[in-house]
Amino acid sequence: MENSRKTIKRGVVRLLGNERYQAVTIPMFAIFLSLLAGAVLILFQGKNPLIAYQNLLQGSGLLPKASYAGYKNILTDFASFMNAWTPMLFASLAVAVALRAGLFNIGVSGQMLTAGFIATLTIGYSSLSAPLAKPLVLAVGIFTGAMVGGLIGWLKYQFNINEVVSSIMINYIAQYVISFFINTYYVNPVSRQSNAVSKAARLSMMDTPVGNLKIDIPLCIILAILTAFLVKFLLDRTTFGYELKCVGTSRNAARYAGINVGKNIVMAMIFSGALAGLAGVTYYLGYFGSIQPKVLPSAGFDAIAVSLLANSNPIGIIFSSFLITVISKGSTYMNSASGLESEIASVITGVILLFAACGAFIQYKVKSFQDELKEEKRKASEKNQNPEERGNG
Amino acid sequence: MERIIIDGLSFSLPLFIMAIGGIYSEKSGITNLALEGLQGVGAFTGALAAVLAASAFSGSSQVPYYLAMVFAILGGTAYSLLHALLCIRFKANQTISGVVINILAMALTAFLTKFLNRTVFGAASDKFVLGVSAKLTIPGLSRIPVLGAVFKDIYPFELIIVAAAIIAWYVMSKTRYGMNLRACGDNPHAVDAAGVDVAKVRLIAVMVSGGLSGLAGISFAYSISANFSSSIYVGYGYLAIAALIFGNWTILPTLGSCLLFGFARSGGYYLVQKLKMPSSYSDLVMTLPYVVTLLLLIFFSKYNRAPRALGEIYDKGKR
Repeated sequence: MENSRKTIKRGVVRLLGNERYQAVTIPMFAIFLSLLAGAVLILFQGKNPLIAYQNLLQGSGLLPKASYAGYKNILTDFASFMNAWTPMLFASLAVAVALRAGLFNIGVSGQMLTAGFIATLTIGYSSLSAPLAKPLVLAVGIFTGAMVGGLIGWLKYQFNINEVVSSIMINYIAQYVISFFINTYYVNPVSRQSNAVSKAARLSMMDTPVGNLKIDIPLCIILAILTAFLVKFLLDRTTFGYELKCVGTSRNAARYAGINVGKNIVMAMIFSGALAGLAGVTYYLGYFGSIQPKVLPSAGFDAIAVSLLANSNPIGIIFSSFLITVISKGSTYMNSASGLESEIASVITGVILLFAACGAFIQYKVKSFQDELKEEKRKASEKNQNPEERGNG
Repeated sequence: MERIIIDGLSFSLPLFIMAIGGIYSEKSGITNLALEGLQGVGAFTGALAAVLAASAFSGSSQVPYYLAMVFAILGGTAYSLLHALLCIRFKANQTISGVVINILAMALTAFLTKFLNRTVFGAASDKFVLGVSAKLTIPGLSRIPVLGAVFKDIYPFELIIVAAAIIAWYVMSKTRYGMNLRACGDNPHAVDAAGVDVAKVRLIAVMVSGGLSGLAGISFAYSISANFSSSIYVGYGYLAIAALIFGNWTILPTLGSCLLFGFARSGGYYLVQKLKMPSSYSDLVMTLPYVVTLLLLIFFSKYNRAPRALGEIYDKGKR
């Protein structure tokens, strides 16, 4: 018993002990545990978890499927995956920026919806030509998102309203008000969604013939990856980023150092909202071409998992958003191929979140294991060095 | 007028009992954004119990209904242990833990509802149908003009909630445990020095919030939606949190804010019907409680005094 506990401790320390790599190893450990939990759930239903996970990869265009419809192959699946990945990446960066400033932006969904709706109304339904419309869509998205995010920051700064509560209220208000406008003025009677936006304003080139394939080309994925690096630069190499992180680490210390805390809270939320706005336009005018009334995009909530998993590091987010998108995007194919409920994907995401939230505890536990082992080693070596002293005493 | 009071009360009271749960947890120093998930899981276990029991009893029997209440409380309590584990034992960030618990609750109940419907009941459905609970009218009192509406067409769960609320108020303000709980939220070190286990007080407080939220969840499921489905997650938990912040973490003023939300909502619906507006306008009415919440928070957040140790991880070694 004592021995096996020691082996476990030693194993954990060897696996996760190196502090230089803990930023990577601990999230990997969390993902591993979650996939294991998911596998148990799948086994419980009498299905093979390995095949289910393989289906997830196949549905995302990372592994070839057994058969394809006309004009489709693994490349078209991967392009469609990237279309889904783009808004997820932006949304996760939005959550991360707010988290770095010590704010919890759970309103990313509402900001996405508002930005998507305003951009649809102003540019999506206009007759502007493509070279003009596409940049304008991005600009409107950034502006609208920043306004909504800034409002939440301002409410916190001016009236001391908890940003979680206010952003949830704004989420619901946006959801119902926009649903009202869509149902009253812009509804497509067949699809029960808003009318599709013009092709010129669309941020993905849908069904573009390339060779003998029809690919949905995502135009913004490069922009999204570049944005991740830009956010990294802003946070780590500029005064703005430094002040923001100071406010996030300790509000009192920041105030003592002469940093304007209120201004930084509002600025962080404007920045976060702008990123959420980009997520919104790439979601509603890129991945989809219309808005479903009364539904908040789940990407805004999954983004919290992504951001926590990467410990709010913009570069880490590129990888963790990739993973979470594989799980959510691949679940549709898993549902049709193995007959498993596609909801199991969101359960796995939820469990990943749960373990990611315990990251600090895992780190602490590993450290204490390390110390205990060191202590035991020291005791053992003392014992070996002074056997006669022990006999005398 | 009568309808506004009847519908308003049937919405405010579940909200109120959930807010009391939130007060318990937050007064003990644990931020509880998990109310939303707790009420959803409570509604899920309650609805499951009711659907399973429905086949064993005759159609008009009230047993499944009360069984649902019991299991909703048990389910909410059990699920709240997860929040307690993360916040107390694992020392996770309490805000993040709460939101994580909500997201997991949504995913888990949606998955289990579909899964159980397929395997146990052999139907492809994402909801458990419950129907609207029976109503009762108190004779005599209900004849009082205007105010009589309070005693008319009440759902049985409203009576349970009122009883639970009175007990909760008594425990919070008149017992030793209640005193320890309030002290835990303001100065946990003093409580520890007095020889009381802070972790235990907080654990019980979080479990109470889970049980009361579960009761609220099944009440919503039996009145507003008449079934259990993911439509239960429309932010009632967050409304309850706004209500308790507006009520300054005390029980009676919180009742006032819950009533305000309830009447804003039922009054709005009444208006839509009265003015014969198209049904899409009900979407606008749905925003009323949220708009009212935001406005109230703008006016009252400044005067609020949250429990001093709220959201802080209790660390024995810290001074």
